[in-house]
Parts: sequence; C-alpha cells; structure tokens
Amino acid sequence: MLQGWYAVSDLTGFKRTDGRWGFRNYVLIFPLHSALSSLARKIADTSSASVAISHDWSGEIDSDFERIFKTLAGFAANPNNYATIFLTFGSEVELRIIEASKNIGIDNSENLNVAILGSMESAFDTGLDLANKYCAAANSVSRIPAPWSALHLGLECGGSDALSGITANPALGIASDHLVELGAVSVLGETTEILGAEHLLAARALDPEVGKRIVETVARYERSINYEGIDMRGAQPSRGNIEGGLTTLEEKSLGAAKKAGNAPFTGVLEYADPAEKPGLYFMDTPGHDIEQLTGFAAAGINIVVFTTGRGTPTGSASIPTIKVATNSPMFQSIPDLIDLNAGTIADGTHTLQEVGNEIFNEIVAVANGKLTKAELGKHHEFSLSRMYDTVVS
Amino acid sequence: MGFDHANRGIGIRDHQLILPSVVCSTHVARRIATSVGSVTFAHQHGCGIIGNDVGGITQYFASLAKHPNIGSVLIVGLGCETIQGNELAEKLINENSSTKYLIIQESGGVAATVDAGIRFAKELSKEYPSAIAEIKKLKIGFDFSNSNNFSNELAEELRRLGHQVILASSHKNSGLNFSELMEAGVHLIISFPQEGQPASGFPFIPTITIASASPLHQALIRDFDFDQDSSIQEIIGFVIRVAHGEVSKVEKLDIGEIIAPRVVRSV
Repeated sequence: MLQGWYAVSDLTGFKRTDGRWGFRNYVLIFPLHSALSSLARKIADTSSASVAISHDWSGEIDSDFERIFKTLAGFAANPNNYATIFLTFGSEVELRIIEASKNIGIDNSENLNVAILGSMESAFDTGLDLANKYCAAANSVSRIPAPWSALHLGLECGGSDALSGITANPALGIASDHLVELGAVSVLGETTEILGAEHLLAARALDPEVGKRIVETVARYERSINYEGIDMRGAQPSRGNIEGGLTTLEEKSLGAAKKAGNAPFTGVLEYADPAEKPGLYFMDTPGHDIEQLTGFAAAGINIVVFTTGRGTPTGSASIPTIKVATNSPMFQSIPDLIDLNAGTIADGTHTLQEVGNEIFNEIVAVANGKLTKAELGKHHEFSLSRMYDTVVS
Repeated sequence: MGFDHANRGIGIRDHQLILPSVVCSTHVARRIATSVGSVTFAHQHGCGIIGNDVGGITQYFASLAKHPNIGSVLIVGLGCETIQGNELAEKLINENSSTKYLIIQESGGVAATVDAGIRFAKELSKEYPSAIAEIKKLKIGFDFSNSNNFSNELAEELRRLGHQVILASSHKNSGLNFSELMEAGVHLIISFPQEGQPASGFPFIPTITIASASPLHQALIRDFDFDQDSSIQEIIGFVIRVAHGEVSKVEKLDIGEIIAPRVVRSV
C-alpha cells in the first residue's frame, strides 16, 4: 500500500435503516411542485441548518415524466439526507413520488400538504418548526466506522481546459482506482463528454456485454441529438473549453475519461439509477454539470469530486462536492470556489501520484465531516434532466 | 402611475433584475438580489444547450431584461457557459444603458462577485433613477389555462375600458403561458390556473390569481386574490390598484418559478 493512503478504519458515516450509508445528516426541504420552490427556500433560509432546492416541474405527466419521477424520488432519498420534508399540494402524483422515495429508503420524512394547511404562510410556520426539529435531531446522531463499500463516489468535470486531461483528471483517476480497489463504488458520467473515447472505455469492461452497452449508450445519446438535426460533434468542445485551450472533441473526451482511472468497468447505469454492488460504473448523463450532479444524487452517490479548469461554484443540496482545479492561476484567482489544486502537477512541484493521494485523503476527510467550499457557500444548484421539449404541455 | 424605463417602456413596477446567465450563477445572483432588494429567479439553463435552444434561451433572457417593469439589469455570468454573459450584456447595453454585467471567473470568486454585484446594483439604482410617468392604458396578460365565461367576460370588460388585452391559452401549464406573456411585455397578468394547479405568478410581473370552485383552489383560497363569485367590477378595481402599486397575493409570497421554453435535451 502506498504511503499516505488512509487506513480502512478511518472512514466514518451514518448507517441508514435500508443499509446504505450517508456522510452528512442533511435536512432537505423538497418541493414537489414548482410553485412550492420559494416556500422551500424560505424555510431553509430561516431554519437553523436545513437545505432546499428549486425546480420548474409542476406535475406535468408528459414524455419526460418517468425520468423526472425517478430523479425527484431518488434525490429525496439520497442517504446523505437525515430527513426530507416534502412540500406538496397533496396530488396523487406527489404522493406516488413520496411512496417511491420511501421504497428506496428514507429514515425520516414528512409530507407537508399545503392544501391541508390552507395557505403558504401557515405552511411556512409548520415547515420551519419541523425543519428545526429535524436539524436538532440530526445533530445528536453520532458517526460510526463505515466500510469502504459505504462510499459511492461521483466523478465529474466541468469548464475543462487543456490541463484537465494531464493534471486533475488523471489524479482523480488514481484516487478512484484506489477506492474501487478498496471496495467502493465509483461512477463516471457525462455521455456527451466521452464521445470519441467510448471504445477505450469499452475495452476496459469486465465482460463484453458491459463494453457493448458503453458503446451503445454513447451512440443512443448521439442519435437523440442527431434526430433534432444537430451534429453534437460540432458543439464540442464548447466555447469555454476552446478558450481554455482544448482543440478537439477527442482531446476533450480522452481527458474527461481519465477521471475514471484504469479500473475495469463493472456496469452501465441509466440516468439516476443506483449501483447495486462495488466497482466502477458508467452512467448515462448529460455533460450539463448540474443535470449530471442531480442524477448522481438521485442514484444515491454520496461524495462527488468535480475537476474544473475554468472554475465553478457548483454544489448539491444532497452531496458534498469537492472541487479540484486543473491549474494554479485559476485556483489562486477564485479561492472560495475550489478545494484542491492539481495545477501543482503542471507547475512541477507535485507528482500525479502525490495529488492523487491528496484527492483520496480529501475524499475521506470530507466523508468524515470536513465541509467543502460549496457547502460553506451553500451552493445547492438543481436541474431536472429532460429528454424532450418543454413547450408542449 | 407608472415608471419611465426609457427604451424598456413604462412599467407599473420599478424592479431591478439580477439576471443569472447560467444555472451556475443563480445562487450568486440570489445573494446579490437579497442584499439589495432586487428580483432574481432560479433556472437551469445557459449551458449544455445546443441547436435552436442557444438562440431561443438567449432571446428569452433578452426579453426578461427588456421588460417594461424593469428599471435596470445586472447580468451575472460564470464565464465558460454556452451563453456568454458578456455578449448578452453587450447586446442588452446597446438597447438599454442601465445594464451592467459581472463574471464570477473573472471577479475573484463567490464572495468577491457578491460584493462587486452589490456595488454594481447600487450604482445602477443611483445612476438610473426612474422618473414617474403616467400609464393611461395597461397591457394586461391573461393566463387562460382554465378559461371560461367568467374569464372571457373579464377580458372583454378590460378591453372595453381601453386596455390592451393579450390572451395566452396555448398551454395548460400556467408557467408556459406566463413565459409567453412576459415576452409580449405585459404589465400585469390575470391568471386562471387549472383546477389542480395552485396560484402562481411571474417574478417581476404582478400576477392576480382567480380561483375556480375546485377543491384545491378552495382549500388554498387565502393564496388567491379572488374566486369566481367575485364581481367583475371588484376585480377591475383591484387591477387598477395593483397597477398603482398594491401587491397581489402571489407577488407578496413570491410564488412562481420561470419556465424557459426548451426544444432540445441538454448535452
């Protein structure tokens, strides 16, 4: 074992009744209708420690319904949530989401039906009392030693630049490989950002079926965009990437794939679906940072490492998100957004292995309670991933 | 009574809009807006968009910034998004000089951007005070998610009084109708939501909500301004008072998220 890796007994967390592990005891205020988003924010902002999300879904049952249903139910049931307070109008579809969420597993939840409470103002009072009650209860729960299988790591990159593929991404790959070796789950997403590198990932599949599914998942995404008469290959790399020094889609994809190290792929996951056993997975998600992060949360991923060349404030209401800079100038210029600097590899002051160790140690430290910059800044961005247009309902 | 917002027109509210050009900057935008009492909104757009959505979302944001109820606009971008905040800002500054922009990646991080944003927002308010102006005829939008004889009669009566009335009836989802009405530049909205849908509004357009007899609407009647037992004259009186500054229920409660029309999935 390499020097600097943590010992197994060092990981601690909170074991949920369904057997999953969380590394936080968030109290989540979760609106199941867009019109309840502002109420959710007000309760969270006024309460002692709860968090909230906003979204634009108003109960439409259209072609995207199944995907949205799965996202909302899974997110609310993320094991980092100690309690979830659902805000609803008591509709049948809202009740079905709560039921699905409970089936995944939530230890503490409440359906705050605004229609029964009679107004937004009375719902605010009741919601605030509940949130504060759960925050106090969450504080009294102690951490216990957790196995490595407790850890479900999400690998993400955004605002990539020319250094992403040689500093932060391969360093994260080293940490990911080591976690997979120890028995954790690690999930690579961003289907649109492995375009052109899918054959290399497929070659690492544990069995040929998984390899075929990786290739087919990328092809399926590309087909869905081509169907609109658009060439996705023409939109990548993005303008921000080009300004960051990336030249081609292949260069971007090869760099993005390095986050997943060299471990073999155990399986392929649909958007927002959980990994059922340890190993490295590929999940079909958009490259859109927040749609990806939301899908990770819905899949029960409990820690995310997010490498970035340009810098981003991104965080999730349900997952501590560790940001790693690919270059030192950016790390120094926006100090309150980024947790770690992998730019030291390009500076020549640290080796890839050293930064890989550093990321690994940070993952463990954050799992054990160290707050990320995104948590300190209360960044709780949320996006629903839709396949179809929003203009028909 | 209204506010002269130069090229944006004369509005019935004097709002400053903190406009996040991408989902990544929505939180910073909200911190700025909360500090200075401006309006903002959360959204999930601006990046990972492709095809017609790039132009469509840019146009949508431009419509928000050009609305007559807006006195000044501070655009907050991240820096690497598909919709470039600076390009959007240049376009909007050409149309309305009371527009500034900030980019998180070039401003020293979150705290520094929030500080700079608060300073910019205050400068905008100081440099571009809105003169009081008179509006003789209102531009009134109707969300006809759930139209009937009563709503038609109300619209007809307002039209008869000389106000410009715009009907949005192509969607059952009030939020999508609100988007259309915002792009049409209406001063205020009168919303008849579907029976199973709550009262909601649009961030800077005062929205008057009228309940149906449905169980949900009656259960939440305190969050609606009127129901259909109210008289047309009573509602019209309130419309005029709202145009003069009285605050509607959903306006006070800040209910309603924007829905930006999208046609292609994210990449």
